[in-house]
Amino acid sequence: MSELELRQTTVVSAAEHEAARPARRLPRVGTLLAVAFTAFLAVAAFAPGLVETHPPNAISAAEAFQPPSPAHWFGTDESGRDLYSRVVAGTGTSLLIGVTATFIGLVLGAVLGVLASFGGRVADFGVSRLVEVLFAFPGLLLALLVIVVAGPGPVTATIAVGLSTAPGYARIIRGQLVAIRSAPFVESARVLGHAPRRILVRHILPNALVPLLVLATLGVGQAIVWASALSYLGLGAQPPAAEWGAMLAAGRTYLATAWWMTVFPGLMIVGTTVATTVLGRALTRRDREVR
Amino acid sequence: MRAAPVTRRPLGRSALIAAGLVSALALAGCQADEPQASDEPVEGGTLVYASGDAEPTCLDPHVGGNYPQALIAGQFLESLVSRDGSGEIVPWLAESWEASDDGLAWEFTLREGVTFTDGTPLDAEAVKVNVEHLQDPATQSSTGYLAMGKVERVEVVDDLTARFVLTTPDSALLESLSQPWTAIQSPAGIARGMEENCEAPIGTGPFVVDEWVKQDRVTLVRNDDYSSPPADAEHDGPAYLEAIEWRFVPDAASRYAALQGGQVDVIDNPQPDTVAAAEESGAFTWLDAPRPGASNRIELNSGQAPFDDERVREAFIRAVQVDEGIDALFFGTAERSYSALSSVEALAYSEPSLFEPDLDRANRLLDEAGWTGRDADGTRLKDGQRLTLRFPVSTNQSIPAEQSLFEQVQATAKEAGFDVVIDLLDLSSWYGRLFVNEYEIVSAPYTKVGPDVLRILYHSDSITPAPSGYFANLAQLSDPEVDALLTEAAAEGDADARAGVYEQAQQRILGGYYLLPLYDQQNGFLLDPSVRGARAMPTVSTPSFHDAWLAD
Amino acid sequence: MTPGSPTESGRRRRSTARHAAVLLGGAVFVMWAVATLTFFAIRLIPGDPAQAILGGPGSQASQEALDLVREEYGLDQPLVVQYLAMLGRLLTGDLGSSYALRMPVAELLADQVGGTLLLAALSLALAWVLALGLSLWSTGRGRIAAAVGEGIELTAAALPHFWLAAVLIAVFATGLGWFPPVATGTPSGLVLPVVTLAVPLAGFLAQVMRESLLDALQQPFVVSAQARGESTAGIRLRHTIRHAALPGISLSGWALGWLLSGAVVVETIFAMPGLGRTLLQAVTLRDIPVVIGVVLFVALVYVVMTVITDLVARIADPRLRQEAAR
Repeated sequence: MSELELRQTTVVSAAEHEAARPARRLPRVGTLLAVAFTAFLAVAAFAPGLVETHPPNAISAAEAFQPPSPAHWFGTDESGRDLYSRVVAGTGTSLLIGVTATFIGLVLGAVLGVLASFGGRVADFGVSRLVEVLFAFPGLLLALLVIVVAGPGPVTATIAVGLSTAPGYARIIRGQLVAIRSAPFVESARVLGHAPRRILVRHILPNALVPLLVLATLGVGQAIVWASALSYLGLGAQPPAAEWGAMLAAGRTYLATAWWMTVFPGLMIVGTTVATTVLGRALTRRDREVR
Repeated sequence: MRAAPVTRRPLGRSALIAAGLVSALALAGCQADEPQASDEPVEGGTLVYASGDAEPTCLDPHVGGNYPQALIAGQFLESLVSRDGSGEIVPWLAESWEASDDGLAWEFTLREGVTFTDGTPLDAEAVKVNVEHLQDPATQSSTGYLAMGKVERVEVVDDLTARFVLTTPDSALLESLSQPWTAIQSPAGIARGMEENCEAPIGTGPFVVDEWVKQDRVTLVRNDDYSSPPADAEHDGPAYLEAIEWRFVPDAASRYAALQGGQVDVIDNPQPDTVAAAEESGAFTWLDAPRPGASNRIELNSGQAPFDDERVREAFIRAVQVDEGIDALFFGTAERSYSALSSVEALAYSEPSLFEPDLDRANRLLDEAGWTGRDADGTRLKDGQRLTLRFPVSTNQSIPAEQSLFEQVQATAKEAGFDVVIDLLDLSSWYGRLFVNEYEIVSAPYTKVGPDVLRILYHSDSITPAPSGYFANLAQLSDPEVDALLTEAAAEGDADARAGVYEQAQQRILGGYYLLPLYDQQNGFLLDPSVRGARAMPTVSTPSFHDAWLAD
Repeated sequence: MTPGSPTESGRRRRSTARHAAVLLGGAVFVMWAVATLTFFAIRLIPGDPAQAILGGPGSQASQEALDLVREEYGLDQPLVVQYLAMLGRLLTGDLGSSYALRMPVAELLADQVGGTLLLAALSLALAWVLALGLSLWSTGRGRIAAAVGEGIELTAAALPHFWLAAVLIAVFATGLGWFPPVATGTPSGLVLPVVTLAVPLAGFLAQVMRESLLDALQQPFVVSAQARGESTAGIRLRHTIRHAALPGISLSGWALGWLLSGAVVVETIFAMPGLGRTLLQAVTLRDIPVVIGVVLFVALVYVVMTVITDLVARIADPRLRQEAAR
């Protein structure tokens, strides 16, 4: 079982429990907050100019290390740059790293999962062994290995994080597909004489797709956290890009004198993970209600 | 003749440091209780040292030869000569020395009665074995090997006299021999083979390697028979401290926290903000010890476009603003440099006017050089080419404050139309970039005693890579006149004449806009107030604890 | 869950033995594949291994020295020969010699393994305690407790290790002076590193446990216990912990791998000797034999954990045995 499988189990069963006991439903307030936060992230990612208060890369050495104030909501960093504007400007890059890494993991996992569940016994056996081998390299270890081979940098870090999540996705997707394949509605489609291809496209894939999307929302936050660990080790994003992980790593140096440099980028990472998870749960719930 | 002393220089910042703790405290403007001159050193105790430099892979500084090795080797190995606070070479294991008139033979008379900690006596044969060890390819020496480059062989004249026979005169021989990378070890220790000698080299120093627990610490215990301190030491005889626990703490914030918590007594490589805070509160003593050799500087790769054009080089240097950044990022602990050499070097030549920022001039120069177009980002264009400067930065060599300074360089250069692309890399990848010539600007430290470092960094011979791909002339400066001056200085036996030639060489190097000096190679130690008498060696600024003691 | 009849027990033992053999075969396969993958991946690294041996790229090694090293380490042999030589050495338990430290990798790792395993084991234990405590407290107590519990879990799981470590040092070492910021091998030095690793893990575990607990609380035996008049706290402790803990057993292999990843960061910050720091140094220095050694060791731990948890689960849950017997 992996982190992802674990999260998936949680999400699905949480939704079941919530459906069973309406009183235990996640407070709607939480979902609303999550939606609001995600909306802010979307604006910050696609139109940062709308919410920035300063140019994010404008250096002013004289204004370095200023605590939060009405002029600089989140304070300033070691080069006198406005931290709030940098957090906003970093949204795009950070989410891009998270989303790309998750996408890589998902696509790779999907290919392996489909191969395992439709490719016959030999393919299933082979893929299962391969997944086991990949599991034997824990996340950061695999990432470090990829970096040794390909050299450090944001692209390598993204690929490395993506690769390390792939085996988890592969297992979930395989399990999901096997379950759907033997589900009553697929059986009946088969009995009705529909072509295998049509069954796959019309029945199996749509049903496998929604849980996958939910899973993806969960992976993004964790991908950002792992990428930030690589930044801390000096193997991640490049300046002057305002990426949250890199900002967090840079701010750690000055934790004793300028707490705001770590706290605000850190809050964004935590906030993003929490918000996407809450949304993921809400999505699962809806999915179940629709079905 | 007695070795010509290097030109005397006025008692500067670094000279004060060398004078010991009292002046170090005064220098720091420290509010802590200053020790009385009558304070009697106390015997005993274990000093805990936390090092932020990489853990050496071999404790024998002959093997490879980097700064982390020098830091710890200075506690148990000693060199033939040392350097005092004024820059003058002083006796250490060698009592005196004399060069022949043609400068091709140097005779060193060794101190009598010195033994290595394994009981082997220090004699001329031992010196010969050490030089041969450095020159043997199997030793895999690089720094010490280069330092002995002009030594053809060592002859044993008598028990205590060793004669160095050179291929060409070498005015830097004494400076080379004062470095920890050419320290003298027990021949019996060397004979044990590399694996064993790397674990615990045997020297004549005040401490002995007791145990090395990898990734954790090296335990050093006192050498009770110690008798050979350098001429400028405070006292003779064994060290006061019973032992030193030398720990490796890579994270700067953790290191400072450990000092604050009283877990360790001395830390190196403190963050500038913590140095400033410590000085302000007076809680700790700041021992400032900039490294000798080259200053920290940004080199401009003149070997290829666009910096093969002097106008573009000058434009970059005039466009970049670093003064405010240095003040803010280093909290006043680093002073701006205008020289290729460290301020520790007596022969350092400064020329501030060359580095006066002037954006208008930068723009004019770039226009003249044909970089007249601009793209949407404001980056200049010439024949469709963007004015891009690739800047590989080593995260192992540049501390966070320096990395931030480079971001400010990036931002200010942008105003003149330069697109600086910073790439943060680990050490191996960083060297990889340099090998394949994929850089326009780069910053690399180089520590060496004496101005001969200029020959290593700016002589055209240093453009040709070693078989390993390494080359030191990163500015790729190729100027026959500079070559001639540096060769002449390296062979010049007369101190005044040597100083004159080095000044000419530096004028020519700085005047060609090949480099942007930033500050001295930052190096220093924060000490708990209970640590008294510790100092930084005036050779390569490594700490010395021979005179140190722990007050209650 | 009917206990097996005497006639079934022999067959079951045979099936368990066969199952163990299959597991073992799989484990050997995984180890071989990991070694092979790592070996060839490492060959893709740009640069010359001989260079790495001679003090890395910054050194000014001569051609002579390079040739000497190539011969000594067999780097002048064809790749296939080198690969077979490595497999041969691995079979005899020889991991080769570190380029940088010039000592046998097995010896080097033997010194580092203990610290990391202790760190991981303590963190796992603390994570279990924290997760159990949190889920027991917050489950079945209404919306507010549930929301608070979930909020804590989600936040804990999203904390980057290096950030958490910095905050813990600032508060508990520098601020309050309760624990040393640098681990010195004393028990108190282990507190902050263990907490740093345990808190995010506890966030993950608590999420799983809460769901199992909710299930368990609805089971008939809980209802009957309530009918007997047992207190809620008593029911939680006596009857439900076991159910909450069950899914965690199968998670232990994953958790251990996750902890070893975290150890890279934590060991660096708290200056502890260990596998993680060794790996980071080896990566920076391109010390290939050490990288392979650490990767193989971690794979071995994972494989052993998988086999053990599988067997334990079969012994604990009779349904799995019957499934295999069919």
